[in-house]
Amino acid sequence: MKNSKDYDLLLSERKKIVSRLLTIIIFSYFSFISVIAFNPNFFGQLIANTFYSIGIVFGFLLILLIFIVTLFYVYLANKTLEPLIKNIHKQFK
Amino acid sequence: MQIESSTNTTAIIMFTAFVVLTLMITYWASNKSKTASGFYTAGGNISGLQNGLAISGDFMSAASFLGISGLVFLTGFDGLIYSIGFLVGWPIILLLIAEPLRNLGKYTFADVASFRLKQKPIRTLASLGSLFTVILYLIAQMVGAGKLIELLFGLSYASAVMIVGSLMILYVTFGGMLATTWVQIIKAILLLSGATVIALLVLAQFDFSFNDFFAKAVDSHPKLDAILAPGGLISDPISAISLGLALMFGTAGLPHILMRFFTVKDAVEARKSVVYATGFIGYFYILTFIIGFGAIVLVLNDPQYLQPDGKTLIGNNNMAAIHLSHAVGGDLLLGFISAVAFATILAVVSGLTLAGASAISHDLYSNALGKSVTEEKEMRISKYATVALGLLAIFLGIIFEKQNVAFMVGLAFAIAASTNFPILLLSIYWKNLTTKGAIIGGTAGLITAIILVVIGPVVWVDILKNSSPLFPYKYPALFSMLITFIGIWVFSITDKSKQAQKEKLLFKNQYFRSQTGVGIEKGSSH
Repeated sequence: MKNSKDYDLLLSERKKIVSRLLTIIIFSYFSFISVIAFNPNFFGQLIANTFYSIGIVFGFLLILLIFIVTLFYVYLANKTLEPLIKNIHKQFK
Repeated sequence: MQIESSTNTTAIIMFTAFVVLTLMITYWASNKSKTASGFYTAGGNISGLQNGLAISGDFMSAASFLGISGLVFLTGFDGLIYSIGFLVGWPIILLLIAEPLRNLGKYTFADVASFRLKQKPIRTLASLGSLFTVILYLIAQMVGAGKLIELLFGLSYASAVMIVGSLMILYVTFGGMLATTWVQIIKAILLLSGATVIALLVLAQFDFSFNDFFAKAVDSHPKLDAILAPGGLISDPISAISLGLALMFGTAGLPHILMRFFTVKDAVEARKSVVYATGFIGYFYILTFIIGFGAIVLVLNDPQYLQPDGKTLIGNNNMAAIHLSHAVGGDLLLGFISAVAFATILAVVSGLTLAGASAISHDLYSNALGKSVTEEKEMRISKYATVALGLLAIFLGIIFEKQNVAFMVGLAFAIAASTNFPILLLSIYWKNLTTKGAIIGGTAGLITAIILVVIGPVVWVDILKNSSPLFPYKYPALFSMLITFIGIWVFSITDKSKQAQKEKLLFKNQYFRSQTGVGIEKGSSH
């Protein structure tokens, strides 16, 4: 019953998108946490002639990255996954 | 002290307006909440944007608004570690959980876990996991609420807890998910606006130069530029990873968050709601960071906000944001923020209570007890459960008044990450998961998380006053999650029973539905 080219394509496309984005998130979050655990002084350094510490800059960038990843996933899902899901719905109604 | 007398008028007027408005919404919602799907999921007709706001409302509790800005006020950078941890759970939910959850479940996440596994044991365990999480969270919110309201409105602690408890029982029993969602949406908008105003007023004093702002904060804080660097919050790698795991995966196991995904009509809307929620929550954490630093600059050295010793804040560090609102916006803003904090508590406890009541009526009573229950009966049970949970919350709130309850939210996240999340994740993605594996692994993780917190530094030493902890780390998630996953794996792959084979065979169809949404129920409007 579940033999459908669209379904196979959906699974492989989703796997590709999800694994890449998940890697980005897990890698960047645990890098952030690891610096705090192993080398906190690095995050304490100030960027030349300012009061911006490297930790605060990376922290804000990470918040931004998390949001961009969710936005990007929805963009990719609407572009590549949704048409496939629509076809499958037609096929199996 | 100044706070009580000055806030009374503005805060009480604004809070009364909020209560009147939300009770009107509850009255309007009560007609639409008479069916089970109306009560549990608002009929599945909430839009992605509305749901995103409501989810962010669940997350922006008084504990996180006041707690995180207070932590930033106290430690600077370290507050950011928590914010980022709470936020990073959202892409995980989006990428792994949100769509399959919507496609497989109806009212609770136990629907998903029991889709192909045995109803009775799985629902019992899932509802236990939910109830533990909800009750721990509820106690923490109630105690925080009582103290905050006592301070801001001059009410006695017990009456504050009773007001919160009674209003939440009203919202949930009569208005169900629809009223709870709208209470949450209104509060989220109020809180985001209030926090934005505080942050803008703070930054305006520095002509919107972050550099001057940080410079002045370093100048004002006794720790000087150490506030821009990681401090003592996380000192060893094990704690770092353990806390990281609890925050990252705990969010994806919180029952009051998961149940919100059933209020939208399909997976597309579920996806959208996470993006909105992540945006609002991320923005909110940036605001709390600015507010915490703002309090360092404007509150820390101003005697009117300090105890007579000149060192500690009136109230405690969690009052940093409240004092700051007065420092930048006078009595009017203080009144507004106090009312919003009160509203926030109400909205969050309502969502928690609804999640707890659904676990009792939908999972425990009507499915796990195996009785054939009509929808009417289930609805009646859910209302009794709401009242019972409300009374329990009031009772526990009063009992725990003098206790340190800060560890309870941490424990709730650890349980969510070690029981609810693994069962949910593996039931969606792992073909070989069996009932036996899920029950043994999930129970082991639940017990491990509780025991490790009890014998760890926070409860064993700080609360029970023993001299040294039996388990050295504050955060148990690394160990309890490992035990859950290993337990589930071992007892699933060695399970050769007929039941296990049947469950494995059912996976293919379940996976098809989880990925495509073919066969799901849409909103109840048709």
